[in-house]
Amino acid sequence: MDEVILSLRNITKTYPGVKALDNVSLDFRKGEVHALLGENGAGKSTLIKVISGAISPDSGEIIVNGQSHSQFNPHVAKQNGIEVIYQEFNLISSLSAAENISLGEEPGRFVNYKLMNQKAVEIFEQMNISIDPNALIRDLPCSQQQIVEIAKAVSRKARILIMDEPSAPLSVSEVAKMFDIVRKFRADGVTVIYISHRMDEIFEIADRVSVMRDGCYVDTVEISKTSRKELIQLMVGRDLKESYPSHKPHTNEVALEVKNICGKRSYDISFSVFKGEILGVAGLVGAGRTEMARLIYGADKLQSGHIFVNGKAVNIRLPSDAIHAGVGLIPEDRKQQGCFLDMTIAWNMTIANIRKLLKGIVIDRSRERKQAETYTNLLGIKTPSIWQKVKNLSGGNQQKVVLAKTLATHSNVLIFDEPTRGIDVGAKQEIYTLMCDLADKGSGMIMITSDMEELLGMSDRIIVLAEGKLAGTLEKAEFSQSRILELAAGYN
Amino acid sequence: MQKRRINLSVISLLEKYAIFFVLIGLIILFSILSPYFLTVQNLTNVFVQQSYVIIAAVGLSFVMISGGMDLSIGYQMSLTGVSTAVFMKWMNIPVPTAIVLGLLLGILLGLFNGIAAITLKVHPLIVTLGTMTVFQGLSYIVSKQSVIMNLDPSFKYIGQGYLFGFLPVSVVLMILVVSFASFILRKTFVGRYVYALGGNEEASHLAGINVVRTKLLVFGLCGFFVALSSMVLFARSGSAASTTGPGTEFTCMTAAVLGGISFKGGEGTMWGLVTGVLILGILSNGMQLVGMGTYAQYIVKGFVLLAAVGFDTFQKSSSRRTKKAMAV
Repeated sequence: MDEVILSLRNITKTYPGVKALDNVSLDFRKGEVHALLGENGAGKSTLIKVISGAISPDSGEIIVNGQSHSQFNPHVAKQNGIEVIYQEFNLISSLSAAENISLGEEPGRFVNYKLMNQKAVEIFEQMNISIDPNALIRDLPCSQQQIVEIAKAVSRKARILIMDEPSAPLSVSEVAKMFDIVRKFRADGVTVIYISHRMDEIFEIADRVSVMRDGCYVDTVEISKTSRKELIQLMVGRDLKESYPSHKPHTNEVALEVKNICGKRSYDISFSVFKGEILGVAGLVGAGRTEMARLIYGADKLQSGHIFVNGKAVNIRLPSDAIHAGVGLIPEDRKQQGCFLDMTIAWNMTIANIRKLLKGIVIDRSRERKQAETYTNLLGIKTPSIWQKVKNLSGGNQQKVVLAKTLATHSNVLIFDEPTRGIDVGAKQEIYTLMCDLADKGSGMIMITSDMEELLGMSDRIIVLAEGKLAGTLEKAEFSQSRILELAAGYN
Repeated sequence: MQKRRINLSVISLLEKYAIFFVLIGLIILFSILSPYFLTVQNLTNVFVQQSYVIIAAVGLSFVMISGGMDLSIGYQMSLTGVSTAVFMKWMNIPVPTAIVLGLLLGILLGLFNGIAAITLKVHPLIVTLGTMTVFQGLSYIVSKQSVIMNLDPSFKYIGQGYLFGFLPVSVVLMILVVSFASFILRKTFVGRYVYALGGNEEASHLAGINVVRTKLLVFGLCGFFVALSSMVLFARSGSAASTTGPGTEFTCMTAAVLGGISFKGGEGTMWGLVTGVLILGILSNGMQLVGMGTYAQYIVKGFVLLAAVGFDTFQKSSSRRTKKAMAV
């Protein structure tokens, strides 16, 4: 069973500012379950996209079924039996299970429902599951949608099946069922490339595991000859490259305390942040970090629990309540949640505190201008004028505009959700310096980040979330990448 | 480099006020084609005829700038108009009280649309498609499908009277409404919130703006202006029937789009809106004078709208190109 079916040679893919894949070479064998492991942003998703032909690499070759390709496209990938099951399902919710399975390859000019249903039933039987082929996708639970997705791949006679975090929406028993199907595939000689953050799943299902880090291939190991510890070592083995500005030690006064808060994807979370402290929040994608931030900020509904700002209990039902209490949020997605792209810099910077800039009932334009100029200078925003539309700015400068908007509300608790995502190195450093300045001035800060270096470099203390719960707290002396990953993956 | 920048600014000026130049162009064109067009009498007529459209369109623009839509304003006019007439003629309520009640009813209808859109979490376009029919039914029930004739002279004054003997009351009302709306939108924080909501609802929510309250306000204002517009229209015709009003929604929408109020929300100005209405008004008036039939007029108006929208798209894509060039 050691026959290599798919081989990647020296694959490199560069996006502006990042090397997503750096000279990656990797072999996949026939009839194996091959797990891909790596932190957020290690390059797993990019690698899948290369294999499925969704993107073409800058250089390198893909050898599949003995044929070499330097350019790959979805059509060629499908011809070679490569099928992908993405995290977000590619099903049409208003069509039936059978229709989805046959989508794009109906035989003949007209739709033959009988034949279609027959085919679906056959596949379902083969997979040993019972789903009504006539059921509409939107009426099926997540787990069954997942199975329809897999059935679709089966019907295409997949030889290489890529599964990206397939267990994310599934319950434990459903995962077991899915594993049965995966094993069946393996027995039929299908290669399964399995991506998951959950280490116990990898140990249960995979034959071999390849580890990636920062776009580089690290190593491939037999699952029977490795341990969790070794895999985590492989994932993290890296030094801090960048330098981070430092700030004064924090005070012992509590800026924000949350007690047993519950809400959408957050369960019973308690922690506190001191004035002058930067509290890092770690966790895998989907661990509920953003949801927690939105809960504290009143952007989503708090179901139970208490929030204290500067020692006083506050009732936060809307973001305006949070702002009033002195809590600010710099949201994760600056284009969708932070900026008003068609508006000017000055307009954006003043929208959150415009009611404080009134002269009688009209907006005081001179104070508006002054505030915008002050923050433009303070944050070093590069623009010819504060009347420039925000959509014409670079990502880093847009992020600074969002920052300015929140800073103008004079919040002394600030929640940064991925503050440096997608911005250049220079702007990153400026934002780090600003955060340290704010800490020195006594602000309490919560920094959610998926960038491990940034997390370790900037935080005074780190809390780790896993599956919406607080998995652990690390003091500065206890910081280690492996410990954080262990907690994030759900091991205590 | 200097010269290029000047060229650019001339072009951008032309782009920004294109719709205004179209209006001027139309005025010049019809002045040449018809000797009667450019007379005080005729132009006053245009303004009087369009005053109710402008007032209703102002209401609609608040909704549109906030990212919403209101298809029901035609039947809101019908319902508030006949209700006011019923108050006066059948229930013998004094004229000023009847007017106030009519305006309150308008605000109520607007709020109803707003509440429905918020609680059902459906785009206002769909919601008002439904409420439009509801208002239609109510209007015919209230009016008992009859035409209420001989409205009180003091009511008709709103649509037919003159201040100081030469200023049409309806035009004065229109100017007041436009100035008030322009003031709200440009000078107050409420205006900022309306644009913010249309520009990016999620970012507005996170910036601490009370999205629900702002939406209610916008729909309430729309209802108020639409009710006022119905008073002007019904007072001008001197009688009230449920058939009066419907159709205005599309005229207003066309004018709003012509005037640069985007369907997506977040942009638009009052002067643009007024220009949009006047273009439509002058087209009707001018074509009438030239002797074109009603149906030919429809065709021309339709094409004018298509041209305006096409130009807008073209201008946006080209201005993006220039901006990029400037950035480099």
